[in-house]
Amino acid sequence: MRYVKWTLIFLVALSAFAFLNYNLPQKDIVRIADTYEKRVDPGENTWFWGSVDSGNAAGVNRDVFFIQAIQTNGRPMVYRNEDTGWGWPPYFKFDTSNLQAEAADLKSTKEAPQWVAVRHYGWRNEFLSIYPNAVAVWPVAGPDVTMIPWFNIIVLVLLALILLRLYRMVQRFRERRIDPMLDDMNQAWDRVEDHADAAGKRASGFWGRLIGRRK
Amino acid sequence: MIAGIRLFVIAFVVLSVIYVYLSIRQRWQARNELEAEFDAGGVEGDRDTYIEEGMREYQSSLRRKLILGVYVVPLLVVATLIYVMNYM
Repeated sequence: MRYVKWTLIFLVALSAFAFLNYNLPQKDIVRIADTYEKRVDPGENTWFWGSVDSGNAAGVNRDVFFIQAIQTNGRPMVYRNEDTGWGWPPYFKFDTSNLQAEAADLKSTKEAPQWVAVRHYGWRNEFLSIYPNAVAVWPVAGPDVTMIPWFNIIVLVLLALILLRLYRMVQRFRERRIDPMLDDMNQAWDRVEDHADAAGKRASGFWGRLIGRRK
Repeated sequence: MIAGIRLFVIAFVVLSVIYVYLSIRQRWQARNELEAEFDAGGVEGDRDTYIEEGMREYQSSLRRKLILGVYVVPLLVVATLIYVMNYM
């Protein structure tokens, strides 16, 4: 039972971490190599694609903007650039085309790199063909500027406070309602056991007399 | 825009539930405080009239109006997000 409990707790914690890791914004320092668009037909990876551009009609497939970039360690990273609109995650991003124009404007070559910060959410996964969604780009001084994730700090602290409060509420509820109930149940069960013991003694006495065996 | 309207309707319903819960709870708390205040002694007059008057005061208090923040704060957050994301 203990293993089951800890496995469940671990799974819940893992999904919470994955959820936050996917949805909270992160910043990368990259060099934009190119921008392009291609048609996508989301299939089993539908979850990781946005919906149709805000205001457009939904179709089977659509064109999606992409931003090709090279990270500071020289490895590639490709971002998609899609509206989140009014849906999840709540970035309220409607300026996809403007962002694509800005990204194209910040293109640079390996010889004369222009480093840019890309704020994005989501994951890159080659097996599922999913891409992080870029929400903002802006030029930075160099490949190793430090940026403090204030937004994430505030969100995580608020979340921790809410969780703590909920935990306290559950604890208080338990002390006031469930523990007394359990006590009652335990007492009731004790009485049941006493009865059973007494009945058992009587029964064994009866059978003992019947069969003629003495304890 | 339809998606936006849908979001606002859902948010309004959810926030209304929270609003009603908080206002009931806070009213109950205010009454409890008044009762405790009277029972602690040192207050002249009838207990019921004292509590009734206190509740009338609560009805027009800033403390009660602060619960409207349940609607105002998310609205401000969304407005700020839209501005920061798209116009900054």
